[in-house]
Formats: sequence, C-alpha cells, structure tokens
Amino acid sequence: MRVLLVEDDVDLTRQLKAALSDAGYAVDHAPDGEEAHYLGENEPYDVIVLDLGLPKIDGVSVLERWRREGKTTPVLILTARGAWSDKVAGFDAGADDYLTKPFHTEELLARLRALLRRSAGIASATLSCGGLRLDPRAARASVNGEPLRLTSLEYRLLHYMMMHQGRVISRTELVEHLYDQDFDRDSNTIEVFIGRVRKKVGADRIETVRGLGYRLTPLAGETEAA
Amino acid sequence: MSETPASATAPRGADWGRFVGRPGRSLTRRLIWLAAAWILVALVIAALVLTQAFQESALRRLGDMLNETIDEIVVAASRTAEGEVVPQIQDARTLRLLSGKYWQVLEMQPDGRLVSIARSTSLWTYDLDLPPDLPRRLDAAFGEVITFNTTGPKDDPATREPLRVAASMKTIPRHDDPVVFLAAIDRSEVDADTRQFATLTWGAMVILGFGLVAAVFIQVRIGLRPLFDLRDEIADVRKGKAARIGRRYPLEIQPLAEQVNRLLDHNQEVVERQRTHVGNLAHALKTPISVMLAEAGTAQGPLPELVRRQTQVMQGQVDHHLRRARAAARAAHGLGETTAVPEVLDELAVMIEQVFRAKDVEIDWRAPDDLAFLGERQDLQEILGNLIENAAKFSRRRVRIAAGESGLGQMIVVVEDDGAGLPADQRDEVMKRGARLDESAPGSGLGLSIVDDLTRAYGGRLTLGDSDMGGLKAVLELPAAHTDARAPAAR
Repeated sequence: MRVLLVEDDVDLTRQLKAALSDAGYAVDHAPDGEEAHYLGENEPYDVIVLDLGLPKIDGVSVLERWRREGKTTPVLILTARGAWSDKVAGFDAGADDYLTKPFHTEELLARLRALLRRSAGIASATLSCGGLRLDPRAARASVNGEPLRLTSLEYRLLHYMMMHQGRVISRTELVEHLYDQDFDRDSNTIEVFIGRVRKKVGADRIETVRGLGYRLTPLAGETEAA
Repeated sequence: MSETPASATAPRGADWGRFVGRPGRSLTRRLIWLAAAWILVALVIAALVLTQAFQESALRRLGDMLNETIDEIVVAASRTAEGEVVPQIQDARTLRLLSGKYWQVLEMQPDGRLVSIARSTSLWTYDLDLPPDLPRRLDAAFGEVITFNTTGPKDDPATREPLRVAASMKTIPRHDDPVVFLAAIDRSEVDADTRQFATLTWGAMVILGFGLVAAVFIQVRIGLRPLFDLRDEIADVRKGKAARIGRRYPLEIQPLAEQVNRLLDHNQEVVERQRTHVGNLAHALKTPISVMLAEAGTAQGPLPELVRRQTQVMQGQVDHHLRRARAAARAAHGLGETTAVPEVLDELAVMIEQVFRAKDVEIDWRAPDDLAFLGERQDLQEILGNLIENAAKFSRRRVRIAAGESGLGQMIVVVEDDGAGLPADQRDEVMKRGARLDESAPGSGLGLSIVDDLTRAYGGRLTLGDSDMGGLKAVLELPAAHTDARAPAAR
C-alpha cells in the first residue's frame, strides 16, 4: 500500500513516517502544497494523509485541485481546526475522513485501514442514467462528473430507482426498500426524500406519475450510456 | 469679594445652558419648550401693542371731540356787563345736569390760583377736579391743548364717572389774566371698550398660543419620527431581527445610519479577525502537542508519562481558551444572523455517515424547509455536529433527527439513536460537567459540554432522556428566526 504523507512539521513527519512504515505502508512525503499536488497527481497512491496548514498552497486547495482533476484517491485530512465548520469545509473539498490534532498515532492507522477497506474494489460496475452515475461498491454517485453528497437514505432511494430506471415505482414499494424495518412509514416520508434527491440530482430526472408513483429517466437529449 | 459673584454667576450660566440642552432631557421637550417660550413672548408683546394702540386711538377720538368743544367755547366766549365770560353753546349734553359732558372757564390769578368764571349747566355748581400741577403745565404749553384724566363732579366718590379733560390756556381780549378753557367728557364708555378689546385680544392670544404650541408639538413629533424609527431599527439589530440598518433616512440622519452600519461591519471584521487569530494560534500549538504526544507514545517510564500528562494539560488549555475566545467573539457579534437548519442537517448527515461508514450508520433527518436558526452557522454546525456525531458513535446503526418550530421564536431539535443509551446518573454527570466550563476536561468523550455551553450561550436548553429507539435522546431548544427575517440570510 502506498501512502502520501503531506505534512510540513519536521518532527511530526518523522514520527508519522516511522509509524506508517512500521504498519507496512510505503510512504512518500511532501512538505508543501505544491509538491503534494504534483505527487498526488502523478503517483498512484492508495491513500493520502493531508495536513491542512501547508506552505505555498493550503491543504484544502490541493484537495480541491485533485478532485477537479478526477483523482478519487481517499484522503484523510489532518487539521488543528476542530470546529465543525472546518470539518464540513474539508468534506466539501472532497475529504473522506478527518482527524483533529492532537491525535494518537493508533487512531490514524485505524482510520487509514477503514478508508482502504472502503475504497477497495473501486472499479466495479457502475449504474448510469444519462449524466447520473452511481457506484454501488464505493457508494458514490455523481451528476455529470460532479460528486453528489447524499445521506444513506437518499443514496438508497436513488440506488433503487436507478436499478429500476424507466419504470414507475409506487410509493409503497419505495418505502419498503428505503427502510429495512417498519419505522416511519408515513405517506409523507417518500415525498420528503424524493424532494431532497430531486434537489441534488436535478428536478427533471425524477418524474411524478400521478396516482402511481415516480419514474427515473435520463434528461431529454442525454444519451443512454450503459 | 469681587470673586464671589463671578464664580456664582458662572455655574448659573452653565445651568441655563443645561436647561435647554441637558443630556438625558427629552429633545422633544426641549424643542417644544423653546418654541413655547418664543411664542409666549411674541404673543404677550403683540397683545400689549394692540391694546395700547386701541386705547390711544379711542382717546385720540375723545380728544378731538374735546378740542371742538374748547374751540366752540373760546369762540362763544363773551363778556357780560359784569365783566364775566359767558360762552353760550347749544350742545344738549352740556345743558343736562351731570350728563357727563362739561366745560368750565377759569381765570389764572397772578398768585397762580385758578378761579372759575363760567361753567356749563351740566356742571351745576361743581368745579372740575384738577391736578395741582395743572397751572404750571398750562403755562409751559401756553396756547396748546393738553389732556389729562380726572373724575366727575359728584359728591359720592364711588359713583363719580372717569373723565377725559382737555385744557388750554389762552389770553382773550379785554382780559388781563390768562383764561383757562376746560372741556371734559365721560371716559367710561371708552374705558369699557378698551377693556373689552383687551379681553378679546388676550383671549385670542391664549387660544392662538395653545394652537401654536400644539402645532409645534405635532411638528416636532413628525419631524423627529425618523429618529424614533432609527432607534427602533437599531433595537431590532441588537435583538437580532435585522443585520443592518436598511431603511433610507432624511439627509440629516442618513449619515448616522450609515455610520451605524459601518460600525456593524467593523464589528464583524474584528470578530472575523479574532476568530482567524484564535484558529492560527490553536493550529500553531496543536502540532507541537501532537508531536510530543506521539513521541511519548505508549512507552513506560517517568518521562513519557510526564510528557503525556503535560501535553494533556496543554491540550485542555488550548481547547478551553479557544472556546472562550469564540464565545467572546460571538457575544461581540450576535447581530441577527440566521442559518437554514435543513442545509446544516444535510451536510452534517452526509459527512457523519461517511465517517461512520464502517458501521453503516444511517441518519434519518426531518426538518421543515423554511426552518431557520437565529444565530451563526458555525455555532449551529458545532452544536448539531457534536450531537449527531455522538449519536452516531453510540448508535448501533440508526440515528433519527427531527427538527421543527415550537412557537414563540423557539425551535426544537431531537436527536435519537438506537444504541445502548446512557444511565440517568451518567447523564447528570455529563450535563454537570458542561455547566462548569472551567473544569470541563478536554476530550470528555461525549462532546456534550460544548453543546451545552453553546446552547446556553444562545439562551437555549439541552435535555437528555431515553429514546424509544433504545438509545439516548437529546432535546435541544434553540432560538428560531422569524420567517420574514430568514430570506436574505439563507445561503
């Protein structure tokens, strides 16, 4: 497993390098944002540990650039800023996990293991419907290449509709597949989730068939790509 | 001695200045008092001048009549065989006894005494009551007519009518000594007219005065209305109903409104700077703490233990001061920011599910689309982030969040999980720790002390209970924004 460690503090770098090597990773190190960006862009890393406070280019910008360039390597951000607003900003930039300083090295190793487990087998069959794509193994979805940020219930709804795209799906059917138990099965629930998913994928992709249910279709003009 | 009056008058002058412009005294009252004082002076002067003019004009008309009478008696004066001057005039009033119109002719004796030589029938045998200095005045104005007031020729002083008298001293042919001609007429009618006129004038002035003061009052109230509006708007900003002064004001106070806005902007800037500064400081300290913590590792021995203990103290201090600085920044800020709750719930749900994906946590949140929190986004993120993360951490798989307005400007957020829950005594322990910020240990495990502090800072409340899902149920009460104030702040 190759890991890119992006950290500007010399002592912390030494410690993390040692800990990661001990855990069996091949470690590359970048001391600033510019080099980090270059390495991340050109080398096939399995996971990246990214400090946010970096010289030259800050960590969030580096991460945004990678994601814009289509790099899907899982990234764990290290930050001194423990506020939720900072965490949210990191996730918006495309982070997969965060760790707030100060942290225990064991915690970092455990998080990295979880990230790697999650991203394993990323090249699986994806579902698509026009510009909408969904990768069931990585549990990721995107619209025209832009990653979607879905909650698990929204994701499950979209997943089910993509598996049955083009067909009218009744509300009862959706409720049954949304919840594995008999929780919250009021008639309003599906409307709420349809509304939220529509907001994220584009309202026209999900059609309301009056009295019957909903249907997911590609937008007019979009070519159906298997 | 000379110093005393000087030092005594100085504060009195200052007092006067303060009377019209004392801080704390109402501006309205000040304007009205000044206007009222001016109106009072102007109306009193006007009333005095009008009354005086009326009286003078009435007396002049009387004087003209008396002059005619004097002319008549002078012309009609003739000498009888006895050497007396007997004017014969046919004015009916001079013939009727005590009619109110009289004339008399007197001769000035060399010793200065006046001796009556003829009088009107109306005067009967009375003499007109004359001022003692009359001979001297007549002498000084020889040939001219002088006028004065006196009273009528009745025995009873109470019924004597007021008289206007014209007198003139002339020399007439075949008379060695100068002769004084007097003509008098009842003044009471003119006096009554003057009094009536004065009454009317003063009455009119009083009414006019009240009318003017009322008009000034209304004018001042209308004129100062923008000031009251501005005051209300600033109060709204302070209460958090508005972020800035938005209305247009008259030329005179628009600059004030703009300055208030600039002050608000400046305030915000300072807050932002302070936050950035605090964040930088924390960042600068946390990396070294991380390094020391890692260096100490899990090694045994006095030194690693000391380092572990001390870094923990440092970390606690950093967290504590970070939180304090943010609370202070919030207190200085707190100007009417509103935050859309669904947006924050959505981003937190997506993010926390991702963090806990190994456990496949499912966060089901519900909130009305227009629900808004009256406060800063960062703080709502902090409150809900900690609560939801906590719920996700202790849940088996499911976290349920329901948010809604509870009326009276409040909203309620309920966060539940299906974990093992927290026994009641431990719940108390968690809350107690939150109540005392200074003793709150870093990494207290639940993060609930932060949530509790923040919620209290917003005048809200956090209560913990049992969820029917099996785990902990956290109920948050927080201030909600009103619908109308929400739209502009929605991002």
